[in-house]
Amino acid sequence: MNTTQDIVTFSLKNFVILGIASVFSIAGFIWPFFYSGKDLPKTQLFFWLAIACAFIVVVFEISNARLDAKSVALLGVLAALISALRPLGAGAVGIEPMWFVLILSARVFGPSFGFLLGIISMFASALLTGGLGPWLGYQIFAAAWIGLLAGLLPRKVRGKLELLMLIVFGAIAAGIFGILMDLQFWPWALGANTQLSYLAGGSVAENLSRFITFHFATAMAWDIPRAIFTVVLIAISGGSVLAALRRTHTRAAFMTPVVFSERVK
Amino acid sequence: MEANRCLGYRISLTCIGAVMIKFSNVSLIYPNSTTTVLENLNLEIQEGELVLVIGSTGSGKSSLLRLINGLVPHHTGGILAGDVSVNGVSTQMVKPGGMAHLIGIVGQNPANTFVADTVEDELAFGMETLNLPLDVMRKRIEETLDLLSLTSLRNRSIATLSGGEQQRVAIGAALVTHPKVLVLDEPTSALDPIAAEEVLSILHRLVHDLSLTVVIAEHKLERVIQFADRIVQINGDGVAKIGTPQQILLESPIAPPIVHLARALGLKEIGVSVRDMRRMTSEIREGAYVQQPTREASIDNPIITIDSLSLSYAEKKVLKQISTNVYAHEIVAVMGRNGAGKSSLLKSLAGIMDGVNGAVLVDSQDPQKLKGKNRRETIGFIPQEPSDLLYGQSVSIECAQADSDNQVAAGTTLSVLNQLVPGISLHAHPRDLSEGQRLGLALSVVLSGNPKILILDEPTRGLDYQAKNELTRILIEFAKATGKCVLLATHDVELVAELARRVIYIADRDIVADGTTLDVLLSSPAFAPQVSKVMSPQPWLKVSDVIAALDNPL
Repeated sequence: MNTTQDIVTFSLKNFVILGIASVFSIAGFIWPFFYSGKDLPKTQLFFWLAIACAFIVVVFEISNARLDAKSVALLGVLAALISALRPLGAGAVGIEPMWFVLILSARVFGPSFGFLLGIISMFASALLTGGLGPWLGYQIFAAAWIGLLAGLLPRKVRGKLELLMLIVFGAIAAGIFGILMDLQFWPWALGANTQLSYLAGGSVAENLSRFITFHFATAMAWDIPRAIFTVVLIAISGGSVLAALRRTHTRAAFMTPVVFSERVK
Repeated sequence: MEANRCLGYRISLTCIGAVMIKFSNVSLIYPNSTTTVLENLNLEIQEGELVLVIGSTGSGKSSLLRLINGLVPHHTGGILAGDVSVNGVSTQMVKPGGMAHLIGIVGQNPANTFVADTVEDELAFGMETLNLPLDVMRKRIEETLDLLSLTSLRNRSIATLSGGEQQRVAIGAALVTHPKVLVLDEPTSALDPIAAEEVLSILHRLVHDLSLTVVIAEHKLERVIQFADRIVQINGDGVAKIGTPQQILLESPIAPPIVHLARALGLKEIGVSVRDMRRMTSEIREGAYVQQPTREASIDNPIITIDSLSLSYAEKKVLKQISTNVYAHEIVAVMGRNGAGKSSLLKSLAGIMDGVNGAVLVDSQDPQKLKGKNRRETIGFIPQEPSDLLYGQSVSIECAQADSDNQVAAGTTLSVLNQLVPGISLHAHPRDLSEGQRLGLALSVVLSGNPKILILDEPTRGLDYQAKNELTRILIEFAKATGKCVLLATHDVELVAELARRVIYIADRDIVADGTTLDVLLSSPAFAPQVSKVMSPQPWLKVSDVIAALDNPL
């Protein structure tokens, strides 16, 4: 039966490409633990390019046929909203009011939409805040996966339980985002000679313990406030924002039957 | 059959023109609904025709317009029986995107549809999406600027344009792709009478000069009726009637004031323009009648005192040094061009405006300092967009919230609402209601607080005649109670004629006229209601005035 266009959803082929892109990206994050050379490599640029290319492939693939006007409009409006919210924190410690919108939107519109929204909003907000730099590729990847995972949370949960689930997810996501951002930055952060520095060629366990100490030493400033802020925003506004987004979903009439017939009754 | 069809055309040429839009046996049902919006509609619109679609709110006017380019059902879902075709292309076969070069659409609020910042960029946008070559785009922008007299505005930022200019830009943006059909959904609802005139005369010219086919839905019939070649009247039950304005308006419950005048006078024919009606009623005008005594303004203490009030908005002076009073039982209309400062004045009375200099007293209190319950019991303010007051998830939640806010018995707001707009669905989201229902809901939320003064900013945009009559009744009822008054800003001269006792006209940052409705409205041809234009120089504003005078000949 004919229906109106569905909200953007990835095909199997998209997921395969997405998987390849993600492997690249994950390698971009965790290479310090498996690198055996003695000197710091110039790998950051390589991985950044790899991530960028991979995501360009993904975006092209998706926009081929699956994005119709309604999905584009929704993506555009929400990405603009998120991008506008990001500089509101103005670099103050961890005040990043963007995450809750991303998580709630992905919850309502699904994993594929959340993934795209993460990519687009992170990129657009970087243009706005002037935050273009080697870290951007990592940030985009992290935001996209937070969107995807938020969309994959169990769909049946509703009401108070749903809000609780999103709060927990928000806290974890904010924390993981912090860990990932630390990870991409850590090998270059402190110079070679401190107790917390990356030890090129060191064992996985050794570097892991150094990284974890490094992370928690710096987390107080950024990650914990970010998590608290996200959780509080979801708790306060989650109910009404979810309701507004769900209403948008209904009004946009995704996947509604279109029937041309002889008679209507 | 052929002859019958031709009856509809004033210009015999269009009779042999090509069929541009064809509805054959069209019926429509939306998803999750059991009622047909349109039933067995057959309609042929010729090239170069201007067709007006009328019907009460929710009758399916917008559905009909959106069927033309296939947005219904391709975008909304639903079951469509029969066939709609434009220039021989069926919407069954081609999606809305494929019709983009054929059909231009203009909505009620152009600001919602603008993409670019400046006039020229906005005009170019539609052609960019159709991937037209650059030299074609440049040429078409120039011709469109000329066609719509936008040349002097080409580099202006759209946000700084007046409502009429914005609507013209929106029409221009729809025309650059050289569509064969232009579809407009209430293009003049938000405009003042002069800006509306400006937009409609442009449409009239496009139809006559370019033989463009135009389909308009509009509530304010008095503005468009004289331009229409034919009318499609949609009844609530999905059945549509098609005919010339004269045929349709003879019986239609939806009719502009001059048609009501013609009916009240028992004329056999109906004139759709002031000129036609004046020709038919010259005898009545020339008679002599007993002058109705004008009621004296009340002289008790004023409820609202405005003393040398100056307002500035975004560092621009909006009003300077105005003084006036409003007394009990008064219904005062504030009129003036778009951007004259009507809204600013009302906001300063409601105490929600910054940049206020001078004294404003409402019930001998400073509105800026009113708080909480005291505020709700003194001032009821309905902003231009009534949904700004509504933030509940459903009508019943909204009503319950208002009950507890105003500390009145549960169900009070709901009973007010049922009086205002009966038959409203309690589970509906406030933003899914029709304009009239939404205004009714906001009004009942405000009225349940039992305020002393009621301030309404443009209450009638998007309201049909029925809802407007209801609003008139409610406001008159409200102003009758002790110590109450109503202030409203509006462009709707017909509403003012029916409702207001006094008119304050604002222009050039000052009150240029402040007097009885009769004096102010009759002094300006642009703001005169239809009945008074027909009956001038007799001082009658509305149909009931004419009838009352006819009952008392000298």
